[in-house]
Formats: sequence, C-alpha cells, structure tokens
Amino acid sequence: MLLTLGLLSYLPLCAQNPIIRDQFTADPTARVFNGKMYLYPSHDIPAPAGQRQDWFCMADYHVFSSENLTDWEDHGVIVTHNDVEWVRPESYAMWAPDCVCKNGKYYFYFPASPKSGRGFGIGVGISDSPSGPFRFEPNMIQGAMGIDPCVLIDDDGTSYLYWSGMGIRGCKLKDNMTELDGQSQQMEGLPDGFKEGPFAFKRNGIYYLTFPWVRKEGGTETLAYSTSTSPLGPWTFKGLIMAEHSNGCWTNHHSIVEYKGEWYLFYHHNDLSPKFDKNRSAHIDKITFAKNGDIIEVKPTIRGVGINPSTSRIEIDRYDEPGKGVTVEFVDTANTFKGWYATLTDKDSWLTYRDVDFSDLGASGYLIANVKAENNTELIIKEKNAKGKTLAKVKVVCMTEGQFRRDNRGRWMTLTSSLDYIPKGVTDLYITSADGNVSIDWIQFKNRDKYFQPASSGSARPDDQGFIRRWLLLDPIDKPNRSNTVFTDSYLQENFNKEYFANQFTAVPKSGQQEKVEKQVLTWHGLDSERFNVKLFRFADLNQKQIYGVLFWGVTVINCDEEIPNVRLAAGSNSASSWWLNGEQVLLLSGDRRMVEDDGMSQRLTLKKGKNILRCAVINGPGMSDFCVRFLDESGKPVTNYTINIE
Amino acid sequence: MKSLIITLALSATSLSITAQDGQPYIHDPSTIAEREGKYYTFGTGGGGLISEDGWVWHGGAERPGGGAAPDVMKIGDRYLMIYGATGGGLGGGHNGRILTMWNKTLDPKSPDFKFTDAVEVAASDGMEDNDAIDPCLLLDPRGRLWVSYGTYFGTIRLIELDPKTGFRKKGNKEKDIAIDCEASDLIYRDGWYYQLGTHGTCCDGVNSTYNIVVGRSKDVTGPYVDNVGRDMFHGGGKMVINAGDRVCGPGHFGRTIIDEGVEIMSCHYEADFDRSGRSVLGIRPLLWKNGWPVAGDRFKSGTYEIESERRGYSLELAVDFVRMTQERQRFWNMDANQPLVKIENQKLSDVISTWPNGNIGVRTGDYMFRPHQRWTVTPVAEAGGYLGGPYYKIVIEGTDRALTATANKELTTVPTFSGSDEQLWRIEQLTDGCFRIMPKRIPGETGLNTTYVLYSAGDSSPTLAKWDFRSDNSKWNFRNQ
Repeated sequence: MLLTLGLLSYLPLCAQNPIIRDQFTADPTARVFNGKMYLYPSHDIPAPAGQRQDWFCMADYHVFSSENLTDWEDHGVIVTHNDVEWVRPESYAMWAPDCVCKNGKYYFYFPASPKSGRGFGIGVGISDSPSGPFRFEPNMIQGAMGIDPCVLIDDDGTSYLYWSGMGIRGCKLKDNMTELDGQSQQMEGLPDGFKEGPFAFKRNGIYYLTFPWVRKEGGTETLAYSTSTSPLGPWTFKGLIMAEHSNGCWTNHHSIVEYKGEWYLFYHHNDLSPKFDKNRSAHIDKITFAKNGDIIEVKPTIRGVGINPSTSRIEIDRYDEPGKGVTVEFVDTANTFKGWYATLTDKDSWLTYRDVDFSDLGASGYLIANVKAENNTELIIKEKNAKGKTLAKVKVVCMTEGQFRRDNRGRWMTLTSSLDYIPKGVTDLYITSADGNVSIDWIQFKNRDKYFQPASSGSARPDDQGFIRRWLLLDPIDKPNRSNTVFTDSYLQENFNKEYFANQFTAVPKSGQQEKVEKQVLTWHGLDSERFNVKLFRFADLNQKQIYGVLFWGVTVINCDEEIPNVRLAAGSNSASSWWLNGEQVLLLSGDRRMVEDDGMSQRLTLKKGKNILRCAVINGPGMSDFCVRFLDESGKPVTNYTINIE
Repeated sequence: MKSLIITLALSATSLSITAQDGQPYIHDPSTIAEREGKYYTFGTGGGGLISEDGWVWHGGAERPGGGAAPDVMKIGDRYLMIYGATGGGLGGGHNGRILTMWNKTLDPKSPDFKFTDAVEVAASDGMEDNDAIDPCLLLDPRGRLWVSYGTYFGTIRLIELDPKTGFRKKGNKEKDIAIDCEASDLIYRDGWYYQLGTHGTCCDGVNSTYNIVVGRSKDVTGPYVDNVGRDMFHGGGKMVINAGDRVCGPGHFGRTIIDEGVEIMSCHYEADFDRSGRSVLGIRPLLWKNGWPVAGDRFKSGTYEIESERRGYSLELAVDFVRMTQERQRFWNMDANQPLVKIENQKLSDVISTWPNGNIGVRTGDYMFRPHQRWTVTPVAEAGGYLGGPYYKIVIEGTDRALTATANKELTTVPTFSGSDEQLWRIEQLTDGCFRIMPKRIPGETGLNTTYVLYSAGDSSPTLAKWDFRSDNSKWNFRNQ
C-alpha cells in the first residue's frame, strides 16, 4: 500500500484567516479573561456513518486561547454530547456556545438535544478556570428552549441570557446564573427575515444586539445589528456588520470583543471546506465604530489580524487583497488543513502582506522560502510596495544542467537567501518575481548563528578550556576531492607539504594580505572564533567561497612569557589535518575524520619563550570542515598561560 | 552396546550466523518493534524487514514517504513512526524534515494497516548547522517523548513531542546535544540517559569505518559525557561496537529489552563479508559494564564447560566419576630434574563404556574437564530462532547425547538428538555478560517456552525454573578450558 505523503505543520496556528487550521471551528464566541483571549467555537465534524451526511454535525466543544491573536493553544475538549445528564447521547447537536465569568466562576452555556422532548435546550457548566474542567448542571435551563445562547453581564452585575428559538428571545438570569429570572420575551424591533445566533454586548452605554440575518428571500446570512438603551430592548435596527459571504457559504455567526484597546469581529467561513458549507472555520477581522457608536461594515480579509514576528512562518497566501495576478490554491485538495499556497502567475504579479515585525531579526538574518516553480527565476521581497527597498532576491533554481543536473520543476523546495536590507519594527512586505510562474507556501526570516568576528586589536588568550580561537585563515584553496577516502598519510604528506604560495611555512601574514595560488587570488582573514571549534566551512561560506573540495591554511602566534616544557598539541579536525609548531610538523590526522576534541596529540613539545608560530592545514572533500586545538600539560590540563597575537 | 557414537558430521550445518538469517538486507534499521509475535524493522528508502521469529528476516515491511532512517515505537495501542524526508545531502541539500505518523499495526496484510498523514515535527532549512534526518524516539520514565536527529552536517538536536499526538510539543525549542554524529539514538537506564551516535565513514562497503559510540547524562537535555569526561558536543564518545567477526561498519543503534537483564541491540553492518559485502541487519546482545552499554559477541558454536553462576559448578552427566591414573610424586622427595611428561586429557573412549545407554540425568559438579562435562553447542538449521539468535543443540562432545527438557520441568539427556523442541535451546547473553539457557518448548505445554530457564536448584542440582535476573541461579557461563 502506498500512501501519499502529507505534511501538516506543527508550527503555531497563525492568526491568518482561518485562525485554526487543524479542525473546524464554527460560531466563534470570543471572550477576554485574565488578559487573554479565549475562543469557544462549535466544532463541526464530517458526519459519521448513520448521521445525516448533508447536515451540521457537532459532538463536542474545544476551547482555545491566545495572548497575541496569532498563536492559539487548543486546551482540548470541554464536554461531549455523551457527558451531560440531560443531553441525548449521540445527538450531534452541540450548537453555538458562550462562556462568561461572574464572581470568579466561569459559566459555559451550550445548546443540545434533550433526552426527552423536541427541540433544543440550553445547559450550563461551571468551572474555576476558563478552560475547564466544567461541572455540568444535570438539567437544562427551564424556560429557555432554543440554540445559540449568549450572556450579557451588565455594569450593575445583572445578567441576561439571549438565545435563538422562534426568533430571538431574551431574559434576565438569576444570580446563580443557571436559572431564568422570570419569563423570557421576544426581542422587539428586529428586522424581518431569518435570524439566529444573537450576540449582545454593551459599549459606551449602548446595548448592541447582533445576529446573523437573511435579509432577502432565498438569500444567505449577513451579520447585522440593532441597538437599544436597555438590555432587553426594544431594539432599533441599524444595519449590516458584514454582508453575505461571496462564495455562497450559507451561515455566518460571530462575536465582537475588545482586546488590548482594539475591537475584533470573530466570524466564520467555509474556507477549509469549500464544497460543503457546514464545515466552517473561525476568522478574525478588526471592527471599528463611528463616533455615534454605529458599526462600520467589515469587509472580510484572509490576512486577518495580529502581527507576525518575522521569525515565524508567514503564510503569504493569506495576503492583503487586492494584489495582482495572484492565484491561491490548496497545498493538498484532499486535506485542506494543510493550507494554501499563492502563485505569482506572471512577472507583473505581486502581493502585499501586512504587519510583519522585524524587531526579532538581527543583522545576520536570512530568509527561508518554501517555493515551487516551473522555471528558474527570482523571488523578490521588498518593503511596503513596488518602490520599497529590496530585502532579498531569492534565486529559485529548479533546473540545473551539467554534471549535477537536477530537475525540481513543480516540486516544493526550501530555499534560503541572505538579506540585502533588514527593515526596522513592524512593516509590510511586497512580494513579486522576476519571471512569474512561481508559487510560495510560506516565508520565514531567521537569525544566523554566529561563527566569527574580526580579530580585535591587541592580544587574545586561549579560552577557559585552552582552545585557541584567534587565527589568520586563508580563503580555501581549490582541492577538488569528491570523497574523503583519499586522505591517506602519504597523500596528505605530499599535498600538505607542497608549496601553494610563497613563504607558506615561514611567514606570518597580515590580515587582508593576498596570496596567488595558481589561478586563485586568496585573502588572509584575522578572525576570532565564537566557538571552541573553528568552523572553516562557515568561514568559506560566509566569504562566499567554495565550501567542498578545499584546503584551508591557518596561522596563529603563541606568545609565552617563559618557556613551557612538556606540553602536547591536542587537535581534532574535519577532515584530515597537519599541524606545524615553529616550522616542524608535530601532528598529522589522516583519513576521513570527524572533529573530536583531543582526537590527536603531538609528542611532548616545548613552547619557547617569546613567539611560537602554530600553523595548520585542513583538507576536506564533501561535508563540513572545522578544527579545534589546544595545548595540554603532562596531566592533561589545558595550558592557558600564554597570549595569542596575530598582528 | 557400547559403541562409540561420534557424530563427525553434525546435523547442524555450518550456518553463517554473523548477522541474521534469511535476507536481512537493510540500511539504517529502526529499533526492532514487535507486533503479535512478529518482529519489524524499517530502513532507509521506504521498506523494511519482517521476521516471524526474530532470527530469520525477509523484506516486506512497508512505510510510505520514502526518505531516510526511520524509528518506530509502540505508544499505547498504536505505533509511532518517525523518519526524515529529503535532507542528508539527498537531492543536494541539507534542508531536511522530520515527520511522524501513526499506524494501528505494522503488518501490511492487516486490514487495519493504514498510516495517518505525516506531520512535520522538525526541519532544517539548509543554511543552519543541522540536517533534519536520522531521528530516534525515546519515551522517558515519566512518559515524555523525546527525539534526537541530525547528521555530520552540524549538530544532533533534541526535541520533545506530545506522546498522545506525535506532534511537536508546543513551545518546545531544539537543543543541540552533540556534534559529528549521525544515526543517533537515545535510551534510558537506571537514572541515566544515554546518547548513541554513529561515527566514521558510512556507505563505503567493506571500507566503511562506521562505528557506534555513547555518552551519558543525568538529564535528557545533556550534557552527554563519555568515559573520559568529554562532551559529545565536543565530539566525545565511548565505543559500543565496531568492526570485527567478518562484519564492518555497525551503525544506527536500537535497543530492545527482552526481559529484565536480557537486552539486545540492533544495527546494520555496512558490509557482511560472508554476504557479498552487503549491508545487513545485525542483532547483538547488549551488555552493561560499569554503567556503559557495550555490544556482546555473537554466540559461537563450540565445545564448552557450562558453568553455573551460583556456585561455579559445571553441568555434567550424572555418571560415575572415572578416576585417572597418575604416577604419584610426593612433593618432599620430588626430583625436580626429572623430565616432565604431559598427562593426556581423559578421553570419551576412556569412560563412555561406563555410561548407561538410555537417558542419563544431569547434575552440576566440580569441573575437571572430563568428557561428561564437555558440551558441544551448535545451531540447528531449519529450527528457526528467537530475537537475535538461532536454536542450539547441546550435546556431550563427540556424541549425539543431547540435553533435553522434561515434562515435569526437569532435565535429562537422551542418547540421540532428534531435533524435537525440548532438545532445542535458546541461548542469550545477559546484560552482565552471563548467559541464560532455555528450552524452546517444555513437553506437554502449548506454545513456546519463554519463562523456564536452566536453573541451579542447589549447588549440584540443575533444573528448569522461572527466569529471575536477580538470582545467580538463573545464570550460566560458557567457558572453553
């Protein structure tokens, strides 16, 4: 049996729309508790066998939370339809819930099918924490028959329950939050047409009753609102919050909440189930109010809200429309939870992605892009717009000719690129390409590890463990070995003792000095290694030199105040290396070798008073190259009583 | 009849038992997993091996996704598979991905055989000092699930997964725990975490110097330090297994605990010199010496004293002790200048006529290298095996008289080896270097015997009793002296 390989990202669920990407999340009720956003959605699932296949199907509730609206944590299942005494098991009718906090207790309201009787009832669970566990009342709330409960707690602490059942109804709740206080009443003043899913809130003294509403015969749901000066109306109809979904998704359902000084509209759409609008996913967009309290109609976006750290995965298929010449497709139509990718169809195509925070990216930052292309091209990332500064031009090479011919056309590739410019703070990205026909799943910026810095002036010392980190390193000499298996002792003696440049075994070069080695012009670099091991591979890489099939030369000078007898040079290298002290070869590490601390030891040596010149040559075929070296005394302790000076 | 029964051509063939039997061709085998009595290991490229008995291996295991070097572990009632896709220089880059997926079974013929969608739990971007392939799994004693991965291209990294989902644990950050290794593995024993890594040259056939080294730490996040105090993050490591015995290039360690005190390690050998230098599955006893794991040697056919760990007495036929004659020399009037003569060992022909013809019981006694104490142990072809070894027959040297388990869980010898299950013995080296010896089947009992072992009831009285690693009564040594 061969199964197609699928990739689901473990990376944070980013608040681009939809915000939750590993399950369906409908009817999103968002509430702020303890400075954190909590989300209580319905949980659509594909109907199991025996259930009506073309209808809504909901067996349980999850709760999610987020600090920044970009990373959401799933706290798991609150309750299932088989866990509550009054609920008919396997009824798959856990419609829109709500959760509020009163006097330190959290009350979770949910509709379900009762064991006896028709229609739907509303139940309550109580917890000390917004994520549960909840203890459920054995009976549904008497007198509240319907779905989609919503609770408004007024400034005076009085609570009101609203729900949908033969229109929208409301009623005061008793202090215990589990019983109606009196008879429920129909909410008056709402427009004609189908309504459900009430969400009530209060802002600047105005009571808002908001609800999904079918405004025309045969239409689909909008989000609309009415206002009042009292919690149970009568209401004055004001207009739309959001128009019908343009793709025909029949339902919408929402909540409106203030968080850290901004107001947000949570709503749903069937993006992750484009052919079946009863599997829905939560979205967030900002919502704003006119001075008089009117709601400014919200246009749904796929970018959503929240600021993406530049070092998180940025799914640019969730771009800010309009863009130009951009198509968006599922990574895998059989598993939409894998998300989308964007294609820049031609060379004039572009898109912008809003609100990327570069404050976490240092000067060594680079770009990673997951792309596929039909031709070799360049992906161009600029700041803000077409006229903005260019951050990176990522070479997209999907085809190479010659010895290492490769054809990756149409295959996803993870590519990296250095950056020409790093923006400050939060900014927008503009993305285009040189030739078009290139698709992008995500991009991400990343800080590069530190390997070297230019040698500071004056003297250095060995580190606490005795490792010598200050070196003059020569750009790699081309030595095109395709395997390390040739590094026999005799090969190495021949090739290490060959003269590549003048005074190779005698001079101490200056940083910046150049050597001519056959056709190559190579430069000496005075460097301090950030690590105990000198990463020659990175030295070559950072200087954009050849990294494989190379021979490195290094020189450093050990200054001793007095003679230090009976020490050994202790070295490890990847791959083979040779070591000379004051012109004499003291150690040869041969073969295909990995760098190991104290791998090889010289015989006993004497470091003379004054200058001692230590030289090394390291050769490598494929793979990383590095070395570590120190002096150890007779008892194996690091020798550190000297200075290192390459000036 | 007192004829000499000397079986020169033993019924056991000269079975090559360097590695496993069958067609055990694999590279980068996952830790051996067991499912309904069958054993599975998965390798680079997508396939894997299946064994009905743990000894004879054939292809047939299936894993989608290709890529390299998987590991597999049973968690709850499901198997978690982890593997690396791309990276490793495959396709030219070091941008690798570590993926996990679940299956209810490992048996491709089962109707339940279906892998869940692979989920990415770690990746390397090609620029950084890491190459996200070669993952391994460790479930620690507190139920936390760890993964280490990486190659020579940079560091070995540690991450944590959620054992319920196989996803990366939320907020978990990678930790670099070693350099210059590949095919790393993590194991836990007695308060120590051990990191095993493969060093040396891979994929070079009979010239591969691949070998497995180890460091240990009290904390899963390291530092993992070797026997001379060197951090694996500085390239340290103590040898666990390297070339020898006509195989070279052991790599990709996996540990399987069979019983308390009975452990094996799995690996591949880059080249089996008896199998055209192919890469094959290797299974060796895993010994623990002073808190360090070390590969035991494969058990070799030969003639041995079978010595009890209890008293040091040796397994012998319950027959008359036949005295040897010697010209007595009193030490107080010995002539030191008299030429020395060599005294021959007592021979089978010297004593066999004194032995009964039928079944002869066994006991343990002082070892005097006499024929009734010398046992020839050879693998029996076609008898199959158990995890890591073939079944053996144990006969008195030069005869076909075979050690046999009896229905009342005692021991005897029969004059002629018949190949029946009670005459077949499973021999496993223990973590302390001793051996346990158990009959394949106890007459009259259904199913294979996995409980009763050769056991010292008294100093002189062997029997069969339940395996108990904590008792030296359960343990034996094979000595050739």
